[in-house]
Amino acid sequence: MLKTVKKHILAAALLVLPAISCLAIPSRPSPQRLVNDFAGIFTPQQAGLLERELVAFDDSTSNQITVVTVNDLEGYSASEYATRIGLDWKVGSAGFDNGLVLLIKPKTPDSNGQVAISVGYGLEGAIPDAYAKRIIDNELIPHFKQDDYFGGAAAACEVLMKLSSGEISEPRDRSDDDAGGYLALVFFIFFAVIVSIVTIGKGNNNGRRGGGGNYRDGSDVMDAIIIGSLLGSGRGGRSSWGGSSGGFGGFGGFGGGSFGGGGASGSW
Amino acid sequence: MKKGTLITVTVIVIIVLSLFFWVKNSYNGLVKADEQVKAAWSQVENVYQRRADLIPNLVATVKGYAEHESETLESVVEARSKATQVSVDPESLDPGQIAEFQEAQGELSQALGRLIMLQENYPDLKANQNFRDLQAQLEGTENRIATERMKFNETARSYNTMVRSFPRNIFASMFGFETKGYFEASEGAQTAPKVEF
Repeated sequence: MLKTVKKHILAAALLVLPAISCLAIPSRPSPQRLVNDFAGIFTPQQAGLLERELVAFDDSTSNQITVVTVNDLEGYSASEYATRIGLDWKVGSAGFDNGLVLLIKPKTPDSNGQVAISVGYGLEGAIPDAYAKRIIDNELIPHFKQDDYFGGAAAACEVLMKLSSGEISEPRDRSDDDAGGYLALVFFIFFAVIVSIVTIGKGNNNGRRGGGGNYRDGSDVMDAIIIGSLLGSGRGGRSSWGGSSGGFGGFGGFGGGSFGGGGASGSW
Repeated sequence: MKKGTLITVTVIVIIVLSLFFWVKNSYNGLVKADEQVKAAWSQVENVYQRRADLIPNLVATVKGYAEHESETLESVVEARSKATQVSVDPESLDPGQIAEFQEAQGELSQALGRLIMLQENYPDLKANQNFRDLQAQLEGTENRIATERMKFNETARSYNTMVRSFPRNIFASMFGFETKGYFEASEGAQTAPKVEF
């Protein structure tokens, strides 16, 4: 009995092993967020602060800046790792390719600290490689040398926001969000079906009762209006709740942007 | 008898029509994949061209500080002109041509690596903002090259799988769709200019 259990565990482990070993780049976080502190160098407050700032920036300009920290670059160079994250997670929106990845690998006693900024295709004009390099040299590394990871990341994000908002500044359009769109569609169909059922019913009544249906007509129309307005208000209520969740600090998700490898990297 | 021929004709028509649509879809799928590979290749050429365009400026800047290093400077100029002469026909993307292209570009990478290393002997050059910006651009371009090569390899791989898998391979050879070459070097070998002997 015990032997078979052991066998099963072994088989399960063997099955899971390759799945773990090919996870070189961290997969898209779920729930999706912009600050992904896998290395644990920010306090929860700091991460929350940065996240709120970046989400607000995403909402107002649609430029997505994601901050990722890892303890191990898995053999990639920092810029390559950052670009792969951008490509894998599809940071930025599909139309503009306006994503930015700030990757930080903190310094440890036996390895150098590494940092890279990867710039999506659409922002290469606003943030040329030389600018990215200067942000690394002037904002990030001086802070990082004093172990002030949050200060460096916040300062760099501020500069990146300034630069990128000059290039692309389109308020994020949340109407194409899947959940909201489908919900609205379902409510609309439901509403249409109810109205048509009520009106068909009205037509039949008219045919059968002739002039006597006047009173009934009125009530049917009233029914339709009441049901309709109930459903309508339900729909409106929900969509406004969905909208406000964006302002709440919820991140709408990565959009489908692409990266060409632009940006810069540095180490300290 | 008449009814029988009608059925036979209908069956034949249906078979012919479905065959036609099958061939049409396969063919159009191949054309689309072929175009995607070509587009990915043109991106690869773009980023290599971007690197070639950076070199005159870089050489001029280094020359201002390290005039005596004419050997290193010349080797970069020479490797650049060699690399720009090797071109790959985007219609065929023949594996041999890609390998040749890669070799010429690899030599340029090595020459550039030696050029960048000169800064260690010339502190003034290292501190020069123009040189630092050019170096940042070169680094970004090397990273772009790595990215576009990766994307090209992925696109070419899916095209090759399409061309070689049965039954599509029958049409592929009939219509002259041939497998494309890849970039062979391990990733990372080209991400940053390094001196390797």
